[in-house]
Amino acid sequence: MNGPVVEFRGVSKRFPGVLALDNVDVEIRPHEVVGLIGENGAGKSTLLKILSGVYQPDSGDLIVRGESRHLATPRHAAAAGIGMVHQEQSLIGTVSVAENILLGAEGSSVRGGVYNWKDLNQRAQRMLSKIDSQIRPTDRTEDLVLAQRQMVELAKALAVEERGDHEPVIVLDEPTSVLDGDDLETLFAEIERLRDIASVVFVSHRLDEVLRVSDRVYVMKDGRVVAERDPKAVDIAELYRLMVGRETAGEFYREDEQLEVDGAPDVIKVEGLGRKGAFKDVDLRVRAGEVVGLAGVEGSGREALSRALFGAEPFDVGQVLLDGARLKLGSPSDAVEAGIGYVPAERRVEGVAMGLSVEDNIVLADPGTISRRGIVIPSRRRQVVAEWIDRLRIKTVSTQTDVANLSGGNQQKVTLAKWLSSPRLRVLILDHPTRGLDVGAKEDVYTFIRKACAQGLAIILIADTIDETIALSHNVVVFRDGEITARFSAAPGRKPTQVQLVEAMV
Amino acid sequence: MAETVTVPPTERTRKAPSRQMIVTALPSVVLVALVLAVSVQQPSFLGPLSLRTLAESAAPIALIAIGVMFVILTGGIDLSVAVLTSLGTVLLALWMPSLGLLGVLLMIMAITAAGLLNGFVTAFAQVPSFVVTLGAMGLWSGVALGLSGASTISIGANHSLIGWLTGFRVGGVAISVYLTLGLGILVALGVRFLARGKSLHAIGLAENAALMSGVRTRRVRILAFGASGFFAALAATVLASSQYSGSPTLADALLLPAIAAVIVGGTAITGGVGGPLRTIIGTLVIGVLRVGMNALGVDPAYEQIVYGSVIIAAVALTLDRSRIGIVK
Repeated sequence: MNGPVVEFRGVSKRFPGVLALDNVDVEIRPHEVVGLIGENGAGKSTLLKILSGVYQPDSGDLIVRGESRHLATPRHAAAAGIGMVHQEQSLIGTVSVAENILLGAEGSSVRGGVYNWKDLNQRAQRMLSKIDSQIRPTDRTEDLVLAQRQMVELAKALAVEERGDHEPVIVLDEPTSVLDGDDLETLFAEIERLRDIASVVFVSHRLDEVLRVSDRVYVMKDGRVVAERDPKAVDIAELYRLMVGRETAGEFYREDEQLEVDGAPDVIKVEGLGRKGAFKDVDLRVRAGEVVGLAGVEGSGREALSRALFGAEPFDVGQVLLDGARLKLGSPSDAVEAGIGYVPAERRVEGVAMGLSVEDNIVLADPGTISRRGIVIPSRRRQVVAEWIDRLRIKTVSTQTDVANLSGGNQQKVTLAKWLSSPRLRVLILDHPTRGLDVGAKEDVYTFIRKACAQGLAIILIADTIDETIALSHNVVVFRDGEITARFSAAPGRKPTQVQLVEAMV
Repeated sequence: MAETVTVPPTERTRKAPSRQMIVTALPSVVLVALVLAVSVQQPSFLGPLSLRTLAESAAPIALIAIGVMFVILTGGIDLSVAVLTSLGTVLLALWMPSLGLLGVLLMIMAITAAGLLNGFVTAFAQVPSFVVTLGAMGLWSGVALGLSGASTISIGANHSLIGWLTGFRVGGVAISVYLTLGLGILVALGVRFLARGKSLHAIGLAENAALMSGVRTRRVRILAFGASGFFAALAATVLASSQYSGSPTLADALLLPAIAAVIVGGTAITGGVGGPLRTIIGTLVIGVLRVGMNALGVDPAYEQIVYGSVIIAAVALTLDRSRIGIVK
């Protein structure tokens, strides 16, 4: 067969408020490793979900082996020979490797509702042999180490070929995020082997890996395929430029409102902070009115560090000083009482308390603002809540509205109001504060960050994009594999380039 | 991508309040309907004597219900409240004759401590409250049986120390009724006006968000179990007052009506929604139901069947399934 195995032809997918895929053309040819890159929200996951039958396109065609197909469920996709290796491990721990590999595809191995173990194990062994794995089908899955489980996932994905007479398409969704060192090499060797018996789609945040294993790379941005490149004729910097796309728009990020912080006093200092397997030897200081941006790919340690600074995760060594005094950070409430606020990436789970009113959410973090000796003063509560709804331009029917009924942008503003309304706040940690927000809400968030700086808050920022990191920060600290690999000054008028940052990140 | 998928606000605001209004108003509507139905069947129901009996028999159930409500608001359950109440009556009967008022205080402290213990195990050992309190139910029941020698102990000396609770009437009803109403109102005011008053609800609705906002979630959950124990001790005092005795199984049959009262009153079994005044309404619904069954000549032995069915039906009708993924 010479034509493509899978072809997306003008595929679009719309969700309320966002065009997730916009007229996308992608083809996957036989015995080919196709790399797929793009920032968060670029449309990669939607594309993969359509390929695996979780979503259906609104328009356009999905053509599998020359036939237009409607993949209504993941089962249909498997029947069409498309196998997924998921980002989160999706194996069942308490059953055998063979059961996992053939889950949902038991077929001939079940007679009268009872396993024919011999047949099941033989078929699983065939899959394992294909990837040259030493794992036994009878092994208990939870006894395997992470890398071995990844191999089982691969074998499971390969099992889809049994459902048809053709070579499968294997989709690897960020398979490297949990692996390192030798395990990574094993996976790459595996992908080489797969090339002979299947077509592979490889999605990763690490651009060097994509360049290394792929035959062709698609770059996605804002729901569109913006480029198709030959890995031999492109470098990481160019891929990044394609991924991020636009030129840095200073106005968008309110760069003219950024103030100098030279000579401002240190607010928070981090000395030699470390946690095994997450981050180590982290030294940081953030001055009053300063934004320090933490750059790095996912899993580089910056998220874990930000949670540790809020007391939400532990650290093993080092110390955190606020105004020169050592902090005890046993729990988030310790951090909050010391004057540290945290805007989490998981807004709907950790940011706003769904079911509570806008008012109750705003006063949740520091009820001291609206009470005297532990008793609420209703007039004060009304005044504080009204003031912050007004200052952050929160759109809500009333102060008693359930926060679940607000749009994402307004929920994020409620989270910000919760912290900014507290007079004791000294440090604000922002973990992807603009994730999932529309452009207008993003601009509002940028404005509030600038205003918070002007009031002397110290801000630690994990931004959604490199652009955002550079534009909003005074200083950028780059993480890779849990360690700081570079520091850049990003003071007004002296911004580093994206390429400089990216080189330190990957 | 899922992040950006939001239902336009207008669509939801139209639905959300209606559901809330139904859950808030329904218990009162049911109460009025039941009262009407029963008084048609038995016109003397609205007479002072009958209403007095209703209020006085509802008081201990309401106290237990308010206690367990604290735990339910956080999203947990306390199955040991009724057994702790029984144990409380035994401790009173054992201690009060010799120790007097000190005996009452010691009993309240002991039962509150037993409640706190439930909370500690739940919060620190990370055992679901359902399991902890189910175990505690067996444990404290055994302790009560052992201490009492499996028999009823009558309170002779010093009964007057607690006797006034049910023996003394103002405006036709016993002090225990005023005590219950007063505490209910006090708790309602606390929820509304204490700086941390909304912590219980925040934990029940969104524990992660509460934690990440600096709410000491563990402490609040332990205190909720402590409150449950404290109210069980008060219910024990009221029961011992009216019964002149303590018995290891005196209050055991009150578990179902108490939990039914909380849920019928409109407190969500999933936590986060509800309050003490609703629980008092719920207790009255359960109380009228009981009187109604008497009026219809239903054998009291069948009462538990009704309470059990009422709990399941009330949850089935009111559970907001959009908030939870899979019902287990």
